[in-house]
Amino acid sequence: MAQIKQKPPAVENRSLNPITIEVIGSAFASIVEEMGETLVRSSYSTNIKERRDCSTALFDAAGNTLCQAEHVPMHLGSFIGFVPLILRKYGIDGLKAGDVFIGNDAYEGGGTHLPDIVIAEPIFHGDRLIAWAINTAHHSDFVDRGHAHIYQEGLRIPPIRLHRAGELQQDIQDLFLLNCQVPRERLSDLRAQMAANRLGVRRMADLCGKYGVDTVEAAGRELQDYAERRMRAGIRTIPDGIYTFADRFDCEAFDTLWDFSVRIIVRGDEMELRFDSPPQSRSPMNVVHTALLATVYYAVKSIVDPTMPPNAGLARPITILADKGTVLNCVHPAAVDGRLTSCQRVVDLIHGALAPAVPERVTAASNGSCFDITFSGQRPDGSFWVYLETIGGGNGARFDKDGLDGVHVHMTNTSNLPVEALEVEYPITLLAYELIDGSGGAGEFRGGMGIRRVYRAEEACRVHYGGSRMRSQPWGLNGGLPGASGGFRLSDGVGPFVKGVGTVNAGDIIEVFTPGGGGYGDPTRRLAAAVDRDMRDGNFTAKTAAVFQSKEGVA
Amino acid sequence: MGWRVGVDSGGTFTDICLFEEETGRIEVWKVPSTPHDPSVAISGGLAEALERFDTTPEGVAYFGHGTTVATNALIQGRGVETGLITTQGFRDLLEIGRQKRPDLYDIHAEKPRTLVSRSLRIGVAERVRDDGSVEQPLDEDALRAAAKDLKAAGVQSVAITFLYSFAHTAHEEAALRILSEEFPEAFVSASHRIAPEFREFERMSTTVVNAYLGPVMKGYLRGLEDRLKDMGLEAVPHLTQSNGGVIGFDAAAEMPVRTVLSGPSTGVVAALALGEMTGGQNLITFDMGGTSTDVALLKDGECRLVGEAVVHGYPIKAPMLDIHTVGAGGGSLVHVDSGGLIKVGPRSAGAFPGPACYGHGTTEPTVTDANVFLQNLDPHFLLRGRMPVHRDLAEAAIRSVADKVGMGTAEAADGILDIVTANMAKAIRVISVQRGHDPRDYTLVAFGGAGPLHAARLAAELEMRRILVPLTPGILCAMGLLMTDLRTDFASTRLASLEALEADQLEEIFSGLDHRAAAWFASENIPADARMTRRTVDVRYAGQNYEIAVAVPAGPMDRNTFETIRREFLASHGQLYGFTADGEEIELVTYRLEASAGTQKARFKPQPIGASNPDHALIGERLVWCRQVRSFRTHRIYDRLRLTPGNAVEGPAIIDQMDTTTVVPAGMAAQVDAYLNLVMEAH
Repeated sequence: MAQIKQKPPAVENRSLNPITIEVIGSAFASIVEEMGETLVRSSYSTNIKERRDCSTALFDAAGNTLCQAEHVPMHLGSFIGFVPLILRKYGIDGLKAGDVFIGNDAYEGGGTHLPDIVIAEPIFHGDRLIAWAINTAHHSDFVDRGHAHIYQEGLRIPPIRLHRAGELQQDIQDLFLLNCQVPRERLSDLRAQMAANRLGVRRMADLCGKYGVDTVEAAGRELQDYAERRMRAGIRTIPDGIYTFADRFDCEAFDTLWDFSVRIIVRGDEMELRFDSPPQSRSPMNVVHTALLATVYYAVKSIVDPTMPPNAGLARPITILADKGTVLNCVHPAAVDGRLTSCQRVVDLIHGALAPAVPERVTAASNGSCFDITFSGQRPDGSFWVYLETIGGGNGARFDKDGLDGVHVHMTNTSNLPVEALEVEYPITLLAYELIDGSGGAGEFRGGMGIRRVYRAEEACRVHYGGSRMRSQPWGLNGGLPGASGGFRLSDGVGPFVKGVGTVNAGDIIEVFTPGGGGYGDPTRRLAAAVDRDMRDGNFTAKTAAVFQSKEGVA
Repeated sequence: MGWRVGVDSGGTFTDICLFEEETGRIEVWKVPSTPHDPSVAISGGLAEALERFDTTPEGVAYFGHGTTVATNALIQGRGVETGLITTQGFRDLLEIGRQKRPDLYDIHAEKPRTLVSRSLRIGVAERVRDDGSVEQPLDEDALRAAAKDLKAAGVQSVAITFLYSFAHTAHEEAALRILSEEFPEAFVSASHRIAPEFREFERMSTTVVNAYLGPVMKGYLRGLEDRLKDMGLEAVPHLTQSNGGVIGFDAAAEMPVRTVLSGPSTGVVAALALGEMTGGQNLITFDMGGTSTDVALLKDGECRLVGEAVVHGYPIKAPMLDIHTVGAGGGSLVHVDSGGLIKVGPRSAGAFPGPACYGHGTTEPTVTDANVFLQNLDPHFLLRGRMPVHRDLAEAAIRSVADKVGMGTAEAADGILDIVTANMAKAIRVISVQRGHDPRDYTLVAFGGAGPLHAARLAAELEMRRILVPLTPGILCAMGLLMTDLRTDFASTRLASLEALEADQLEEIFSGLDHRAAAWFASENIPADARMTRRTVDVRYAGQNYEIAVAVPAGPMDRNTFETIRREFLASHGQLYGFTADGEEIELVTYRLEASAGTQKARFKPQPIGASNPDHALIGERLVWCRQVRSFRTHRIYDRLRLTPGNAVEGPAIIDQMDTTTVVPAGMAAQVDAYLNLVMEAH
């Protein structure tokens, strides 16, 4: 159990005043941002170049996060395990400048699911290891697989060297590419990842040249202490107490419902979160420990203080507990491909639990899912094509505002692919992409609306779809009504689909509708003008209008 | 021949610059702006200036104008009620955008307001494929009904965006025709005319912004034109676009989305003009005002053009100078956060109540308070005595922050300036280092009320050796307007492999653009010998989605043309990303033609260089914080307007003028050049 550290409110080191720390912190942020732009702009796969399903970060020599770019919070889970594993496996003395490590495994590679390939490069100053440039990209590959255990989900890679002192290990790369369905894209994405890290290495060297390596390292430590202070200050504003919340989890992979719950203890400036969930299952919805950590760090930061720097220090006052071998802390050999959807529900649990303590900071349940659909098939020359996308939904309503319509919430933040890019690259036609009338939960502030996206296959192909909140609804808060459930609909004669997997033929239509967000506050308190606008805009249907009926006199 | 007039209409002042072509005489005039209708100050100020300088409106041969009307309407949500007609099933695309939330961690953040409310977004059955073929013809009856509905709903403006309209324009053209029949009074924008490029959301957003601003801009320009005509002005007025070129009022009224960065572009163009005057063609501009700062890079006298940018939250596809804006300036507020670090911004004190030193009751310190306390700024009066300030209030405000972090007041104030400098340096790195340019090879051009105040620190941070401070910031912009080319850009998207495309196909694409340019040249009455065009193509590896602009040589196309394109592309890709993918297919995406007409530009006459001694301009001295010795030190104060060409001011010194203050730190000297610019260098 971590001790409560009483930090002085100000930095003591006189040579390292708050100004220098702020300036170097801003340099870290600018380096990871530039790494991210390089990765996106030089990549080929739609999942990176348009959907931006990738993240970049700098870590200190010991493997603590110095700074993570603002892309996809889930990806932190792939980073926090990676460097410590390398250090344990190879030791600092086993590292050389120009080494580049690759890995993805959820149990031996620090990853959270296999398609997120992590690339890390140590940064040396002379002989001294000072930091790591690291990034992950979701390679749109390893598709049309089983999910009974991780061996079905793709190639497992522990942290190994893709480059040794600057020299490409062709054998390793060949082995990797042979196991990929779309090797040309994989190679180009790896190149983009390499380019991003190399830039990070160069920029860190410049920074050390300018301020001196000792100052940069010291500032890195101070920034982590600083994030810790911010986190403690934030937690201190939550009344002490024990807060609990429970919910049920459904998805396409099984017919049962799972019970998820959390018990949060807030004491002074520390917080403990204990999660209960069923034993891990032969499904892709299991979550490894690092993924759970990344999820909780995101959720707590976004509730207590969204502007604190995203580094390892913010984790210090937080204790996270979940029994090993359960869905929310799975062990080998559980399959993990769909962990993001489970993690979305972990965030909702934390919001639900803290709602009585800080009602103005949390939101009603968001769409609680990460709806995804993957198409794959073969071209006439026998090569594979793979198209994967994830679809946003409603954001939970807030204390004083409606929820956002049709956005990616919480642990993911990827873009859509423009229709005019999608149809050029893949044999898929998009027939509709719109908000779903009436899907946001009614309330004094309404939940965000879910999205309807309709695809027509132009060739026979394999399809996988997945999501949650199909047999339950995102809950409202303080009298707000729940948002609509999500789901999938197939045109007549398509399928059968089993656990979200099936084959479609040219002309078949698949319709995805994602859940709305829950409402906040009693709908009868909604301002008449807002109700009028909702009705005019079709945000609510005539049927739901009844819930606002006692609105007279309120506006 | 006659007078050429440039008018820069800013938030506070309207600057008017007059240039007599025959004699090279330059006169400037400054009047307070009239934000409710900027044309009042422009026409009134111009009338005053003409009278004062003994000329008449008939004597004006050219009128160039830079304005923030479009951008302000966008920021303040003062566009018109707008409707949207789009492909059935896609009406919410405007709101969904790229489905990203506005802030990664802040769950209370809001998206920018969607400019067309949901009830005014109408989907109409039609569908075009990516190759331009029609899968489903346009339902003209439904379109007619939509036009009637929008008219009944009271919109003033309509945007039309169908999928793939860049590849097949007929459906949008039919929609334009039907709207002109059913709703002739509406301002209508169709996406194939406004931004004929792929990526439907960005094209839709651009078209909607255009429609939203159209009537506002049209009204403003008509009003201004009428006022100018009433005065007797015969010259055709022109406006700066976001690409730095000027365009006639008629064209500007149809394409307001192309002028959203008219204001900041004017500053960059002015710096370009300055570069031409002084022979320095590699410049980084640093325009720091009260709430925001614009930076841009000019290499060999040219600023990179970008085809797309997010402006005030709205994606816009239009040719724009690559100007990077930071939401920080002199009025940015300073605070200590819950973790004990000093932060500057993003909140700003605004003009009122303003910084603590203004004495309007605020106690939170701003960057200006740090400068007043350190006496970089006059501790008693700003604006040459027009505005009193209170150094004791600045000191108290800074002390409240310093105490929280255990620093001395002066040390904290100095640190605040370091943080501001670091933020600005970060912005400059984005447009320089991140694009493969080393700032050390560039001259920093500092303007805006706070630019010259911070320029020396910023240059030191970036190891830039030379700083240029133009005579006065507003006048600089107005002068820039006199040196701008008439210019517009045309583009056409067609995906093709570099290998597969034939020379005559490339020829055909560019001749299509030439044709459109010729029509524009004719509409602007540009004589044949003044017409200039330049071709570029956006290139990428097949599979990438971000392109690199490559110049296409003039003249007939042949295989060598493709070789040149390939060579340029590989060089740029290597420079940007550190690798090339040898043997991979290279793809051409968007073909662009820049059409310009060399206007008769103002040529400023250098003044003779005189003696270096600046003592005649010495107006006093005061103690100013010197960061090298970390204490207050006596600085001489000079009056900028009394300095003459050749005068050299040795640091540490302060050069004061009504609208800005230049700090010359110890170790640097500022010399007045033949055009009255200050050139500051280490000595």
